[in-house]
Amino acid sequence: MTDYSSLQSLMIAAIFLSAVLLHLTKKNSSAILLYFIQSLAIGILLFRPLAENFSLIILLMAGLTLAIKAVIAPLFFLRLVKRHQLKFSASTYLNTPLTLIVIAALAALTNSRIFSHIASIEPASQKILSLAIAVVLVSFFLIINRKGAISQIIGILSLENGIVAFALFSGLEQSPALQIGIMFDLLVWVIIAAVFISMIYKQFGSLDVTELKHLKE
Amino acid sequence: MELILIIGSPIIASIANFFSKKRKACETATIITGAIALIAAVSAALKVSSGGTYSPNDYFSIDALGAIIITLIAFIGFAAALYSVSYLKKETAKGIIDFEKTRLYFILFNLFIAAMFLAASTSNPIIMWIAIEATTLSTAFLISFYNKPSAMEAAWKYLIINSIGLLLGFFGTLLFYTALTHGQSAVFSWDSLLLNAKNLDPMVAKIAFIFILVGYGTKTGLAPMHTWLPDAHSKAPAPISGLLSGLLLNVAMLAILRFKVVADAAVGSQFSGNLLIWFGLISIVLASFIILVQKNYKRLLAYSSIENMGIAALGFGLGGIGAFAAILHIIYHALAKSLLFFSSGNIFLRYSSTKIAKVKGMLTVIPATSLVFVIGFLTIIGVPPFGIFMTKFYILSAGLKTHPIQSIVALVAFAIIFIGFLTHASSMLFGNAPEEISKEKENKWAIIPLIILITALVILSVYLPPSFKALIDSALTKYQ
Repeated sequence: MTDYSSLQSLMIAAIFLSAVLLHLTKKNSSAILLYFIQSLAIGILLFRPLAENFSLIILLMAGLTLAIKAVIAPLFFLRLVKRHQLKFSASTYLNTPLTLIVIAALAALTNSRIFSHIASIEPASQKILSLAIAVVLVSFFLIINRKGAISQIIGILSLENGIVAFALFSGLEQSPALQIGIMFDLLVWVIIAAVFISMIYKQFGSLDVTELKHLKE
Repeated sequence: MELILIIGSPIIASIANFFSKKRKACETATIITGAIALIAAVSAALKVSSGGTYSPNDYFSIDALGAIIITLIAFIGFAAALYSVSYLKKETAKGIIDFEKTRLYFILFNLFIAAMFLAASTSNPIIMWIAIEATTLSTAFLISFYNKPSAMEAAWKYLIINSIGLLLGFFGTLLFYTALTHGQSAVFSWDSLLLNAKNLDPMVAKIAFIFILVGYGTKTGLAPMHTWLPDAHSKAPAPISGLLSGLLLNVAMLAILRFKVVADAAVGSQFSGNLLIWFGLISIVLASFIILVQKNYKRLLAYSSIENMGIAALGFGLGGIGAFAAILHIIYHALAKSLLFFSSGNIFLRYSSTKIAKVKGMLTVIPATSLVFVIGFLTIIGVPPFGIFMTKFYILSAGLKTHPIQSIVALVAFAIIFIGFLTHASSMLFGNAPEEISKEKENKWAIIPLIILITALVILSVYLPPSFKALIDSALTKYQ
């Protein structure tokens, strides 16, 4: 049981760490790799209930989630990066030291009265839930701070991973049928986002979203 | 049966369009299924009106407000289908789009309608979330339909901002779910949430509602999360702009209201009411100043949508007679705004510009559209006897008793909007039309859908059929 708890802690730590590292990486391929690690950790956590009680539907749902998050989505983005030679992500609004300070502040914010109240909905997992909230906040900051379209998309997916981690540890998991619905939605979203990235690159010759200035009238 | 027809019809139309190789087939499938969905929606609404909430199974349930929204989706959706046919034909004739684009349009159009039907008819908050997310996905390509840089940019902004908003909404939904995990019930539905609302930790309920309001409020276009809306609504093809403004905003508002009821049961109505009042007021004030200096008529209409959703939020926040007026307001706004956006399509097709400065002498160039446009303008700014005058009046009356300062601020903003709209409208309607603008007769199929909408708007402004009034009263009991 202790080993199992350690594994869970390790996975949530990996999820948080990858969210932080997403801020520091400059290469698109590294960002995709970090997202893959994060999704893999989520996938492993999804298989957790099987250890106590085997269920084919949970196995199917966890497998599907793992396939979409850790295989299909990263492959989609890697193909995109290769096709358009998009080696480096566009820059950030804040420099690295400032970014790290904001991340530290966001992590500290999870101990605030409001967020600790949310984390305490499942007292046994309070620390883990705080970390999941930190993933949500850090990912949200990634979307705001990054100028690159791929980083923004990965930020949204990382935010979604944070919410999934929160749901897993607070016992708010939905029925497998609904989770499959959510996953299908995510799959379509990933495809559409990838198509849009491709279209933006063709139209603007760059994935720097600050280049998108045609709406200013 | 009704529900199968309502949700199934647009899905079948979408599939039929996917395999279709002829333009006529795409148009016919969309119009016929639109008519079927409309008949089924009216039938379902009558059922709800006479017998209360209609729940065919565990996952679907149409309450009074849901029935109103579904009827609006079906009615405006049908008018939009009719209008799309003539609009796209004209665009094809001008060489703007080809058959493949038309086919794609009708596939996505029908998916969009189906997703809205699903969102309004499901009893499960997660399915509602999935459906609203599906509306984002189906409309993103409709916003970037013309493949222009500005349209692409608007679609990207729409996709990113709404996806973040909806994820926050999802987080809020999960927090509301704690009412069930800490209680006895396991089925996640609006009814079970309401039944177990007392199990919610008050602080968690408040935080959850904030997430819901910010999340779904983004989709509703409430300021300050509105930034995607003017871009998306102004860049999409005119019929889609009408659907986005007239329907999608209401569907997202429905999600907020359903959670509001649960939050109110947990912590009282003051918390959610105050939040709605402030978000509503900020939306009204912000829109008023931008409307005054707006240079693009489609953006003008988009900002007007922000203002009107703000008015609805204000009404629901105030409760009582304010909520009654807010329900009527979303109905009138849906009809008037889709009417105005469809008219804007006719203006664009003739003038080839969305700039107010480039549109002169509309009354002589497109007299029928101009007439409709004037009525739409007068409705949206709240001139009597049109319904929006009454709804604004009721909301302000309710507000003056409990929130006088906010009500006076709103009143000043309405005056600014009134001046702004009249200035822009007179500039477009009168004057000499540019010489290069063709003065050929307007296509009747570009006018008939507008007449259908205007007839409904005028009738509902002066007379509410008893069954419709019963629906509103029933909705008011639950959502005030």
